[in-house]
Amino acid sequence: MIDDAGVVVAFWVIAVSTVVCALMVAAVRNLVHAVLFLALTFVGVAGIYIVLAADFVALVQVLIYAGAVGVLMTFAIMLTPAADRRNSETIFQAPAAVLAGLVLAIVTFVAYDTEWRISGRDAFPATAASLGEAFLKPYVVPFEVVSVLLMTAMIGAIVLTREEGDDV
Amino acid sequence: MPIKSEPVEVNIGPQHPSTHGVFRMVARIDGERVTDVKMVVGYLHRSMEKLAEERTYTQNIPFTDRMDYLAAMTGNLGYCLSVEKLAGIDVPERAQYLRTMFSELQRVASHCMATGAFINDCGAWQTPVMYTFRDREKVLDLFEMTCGARITTNYMRIGGVAFDIPDEFLPALDWLVNDDLPARFEELENLIVGNEIILMRSRDVGVVTPEMAINASLSGPMLRSAGIAWDIRKADPYCVYDRMNFEIPVGYNGDSYDRMVIRIEEMKQSLRIIRQCMAELPDGPHKVDVPLALRPPAGEAYSRVESPKGELGFYVVSDGGPAPYRWHVRAPSLINLSVLPQMTIGQSIADAIVTLGSIDINVGEVDR
Amino acid sequence: MTGALLTIITDNWWDIRDLSNLSGAIRDLVSDAGGPGWLVYVVAGLLGAAGIVTFVGVTAIINIWIERRVVGRMQSRLGPNRPGPVGLLQPLADAIKLMQKEVLQPKLADALVFTAAPIAFTVPGIAVLAVVPWGRNMTLASLDAGIVFIFAMSSLAALAVFIGGYGSNNKYALFGSMRVIAMLVTYEIPIVMSLLGIAMFAGTMNLDGIVRFQEDHWLFLIMLQPLAFVIYFMSSSAELNRTPADLAEAESEIAGGYHVEYSGMKFGLYYAAELINCVTVSAIIATLFLGGWWAYKLDEIVPGWMIYIGKVYAVYFLFIWTRGTLPRFRIDQLLAFAWKWMTPMALVNVLMVAAEVLIWEETGWSAGVLLPIYVVLNNALALALIVAWVRVFAPRFERFPDRPRFYSTIDVPSLPAVAPVQPGTQSQ
Repeated sequence: MIDDAGVVVAFWVIAVSTVVCALMVAAVRNLVHAVLFLALTFVGVAGIYIVLAADFVALVQVLIYAGAVGVLMTFAIMLTPAADRRNSETIFQAPAAVLAGLVLAIVTFVAYDTEWRISGRDAFPATAASLGEAFLKPYVVPFEVVSVLLMTAMIGAIVLTREEGDDV
Repeated sequence: MPIKSEPVEVNIGPQHPSTHGVFRMVARIDGERVTDVKMVVGYLHRSMEKLAEERTYTQNIPFTDRMDYLAAMTGNLGYCLSVEKLAGIDVPERAQYLRTMFSELQRVASHCMATGAFINDCGAWQTPVMYTFRDREKVLDLFEMTCGARITTNYMRIGGVAFDIPDEFLPALDWLVNDDLPARFEELENLIVGNEIILMRSRDVGVVTPEMAINASLSGPMLRSAGIAWDIRKADPYCVYDRMNFEIPVGYNGDSYDRMVIRIEEMKQSLRIIRQCMAELPDGPHKVDVPLALRPPAGEAYSRVESPKGELGFYVVSDGGPAPYRWHVRAPSLINLSVLPQMTIGQSIADAIVTLGSIDINVGEVDR
Repeated sequence: MTGALLTIITDNWWDIRDLSNLSGAIRDLVSDAGGPGWLVYVVAGLLGAAGIVTFVGVTAIINIWIERRVVGRMQSRLGPNRPGPVGLLQPLADAIKLMQKEVLQPKLADALVFTAAPIAFTVPGIAVLAVVPWGRNMTLASLDAGIVFIFAMSSLAALAVFIGGYGSNNKYALFGSMRVIAMLVTYEIPIVMSLLGIAMFAGTMNLDGIVRFQEDHWLFLIMLQPLAFVIYFMSSSAELNRTPADLAEAESEIAGGYHVEYSGMKFGLYYAAELINCVTVSAIIATLFLGGWWAYKLDEIVPGWMIYIGKVYAVYFLFIWTRGTLPRFRIDQLLAFAWKWMTPMALVNVLMVAAEVLIWEETGWSAGVLLPIYVVLNNALALALIVAWVRVFAPRFERFPDRPRFYSTIDVPSLPAVAPVQPGTQSQ
């Protein structure tokens, strides 16, 4: 499957555009633009998932990351008091670049060093069904714990944004 | 749950679809809530009151068309009444009836417009306004048949009306008030009165309390919606209203919904008056001869009529010359508009638009 | 004889009842000519995409005319009737006008965002059409998680609307954007919940599979899921910005909302995309609730894709109808409606479906026995819930009567006498 020319072409097109978008997130000065490029990056990652035949994960990636997280980040930027919405010059630029380079080097090293086992399957089975089975059978306890955690976070957010002395 | 937010100032108008002309409302908005409203009027000011001092009394009649251009007949009538009072002119019986008839027809046309535009402001996508415009068109057709103009009719004259009605007028009017319009009003009521969304949008929105109404000297449907029974046609009858048998609808709550319903009921009462006028319409001259350069004796006169928007008053002072020494118009739109800040502050921006629509202003009259 | 004739034409590329034959023929041509495997794959994808984009383009043009004519009819006027026969060329004239107009851009607008937004708004609506089955064997991408794809695309469209309003640097536009987000957050839940019932009954999220379920069990899912249909229809009209929930553009309040600053073809793109999104939602409803291309025995005579498009336009007519007749909600009323009515009802619906599917699987009774019972049960439940809600929770206005009172005489207070003013003597 992975040797098929079409898939290879698709992978490279998506991968290159994703990386370019990711670089633009760091490069552009305007924060809103950065968020939009981030959303594009998420869509690109979803494309890579599709190339890997994990369509459910890809769609959830678009739904949660590109849709919801993109909006959330735009909101965060708009609600931040710093009004010019621009990336300012900071002294952390050089250290951050070094750190990012290190992470990239480590990931590249690991990716090359690992002996990837190619599974014999042609394509994945229906991922939505298998994911559902996984969530509700072997991993039901972590799944429920995560939902409780998210619920707590939501309630916490509501409590934090309340003004003092509010009754409602 | 209030969340801290930053108020913004929004210019609603003068270029806005819902300001009914070139009225400007500077609203300070916190989230969706209006915290302050500043009204800016004067974009359509044509200084008619000053211009009138340079023209003869008859030449001033067209100005009254262009004040409330949705209710030109009542504007004409109010002005002519004041000059007749000043000059002591008696108007023939037939002209009195025709004046009553046409001002009631004008009320139907104006309220049709107001109701349709109000529901449009509630967010209906042009449908009600098309329905009510269809009915208004028929009234305007009658105007055209009689005096050749539809909007700026310039029909009333000092001492009567400009033209007698043509022969085909009465059959057409009979069909309109007996067959067509009652069915149309019923259709309109079925469609909008009691509509859940209209109720949600207009109930308890833009409330006028009786105290507010009296203190601000409101009139017309604005005053009657607050629960105060007041109508110039009853309180100070002019023309032949004292012979007519009709009722004035009065609301309970003073909200936008009451104003809309009152307008619909008033249209029905107008049809009643028109039917009586048609039955009693006497023969005779439709005007008395009045010199074109009328020179009323020095003095002053104030006359008021119940225009569709409220009490439309004309104050004329004469120094004996051919032109008024001073002319002042008590424009109901402007005075009704004066309570807008009190009505809208605290509401959401959508309600502010509905409230403005329910006042039924006409910017031509506000600014004059 | 007829049967033999049918089999002859069914498998040939000129048979219009199954357009996949045509694309299959072209695919075979490519592979016969020795094209590599991936080229065949790409050609197949491009063919389907070309078909969908053609449909979308024609639809956007036709729908302008349909919408304006139908609404005109509802508003007792004619609608466009001058250019071409019965005004059919009006959309063309509109498009030419829009292209010629100057594309204005506010000086302080965010140029990149401002330009990207209309494009980003158009894409998701078209993309959804890739997963819907247009006929038997006529799905461009038969995704296993087709329903999730629909949700993902609708959230992307909301992001596009938001950035468009934000990038315009206009207060009205920002209001519109904020409303879009509030509505997205609110309405995503009932939408997901209402379609969950469908997925549970069908046992799959693949739209092909859902149509096949309806075909197998000889019913439209709207019969099994009336409540879900009502909820989905209402929520999607909120997502689509159509009255009674067109708060994001609210002509009479915020003067067009997120697209207030757009002009020329950028506005045209918004305008077209709104119509396309409406058709997309109609297509989703037609697929999930109305059986897609399947219509009892009808699809053996009429081509499935024609039935499907007919159903899409029937649903689209419903959208036009509501748009032409209803006033708009206020934002808090709309959100309250979603949270207090639609979300709980959708939850009740999901619970009901879960119980029914459980009974079905555990008892193993045949669908022929159970499904009619479910149909009756669910319709009764939907009716009961809606009536109960209207009776109990709907806003009531009984404090004051609906009708005014009438006075035939009124009290006139006597006014104090005032001395008349003489001209020229009045002091300022």
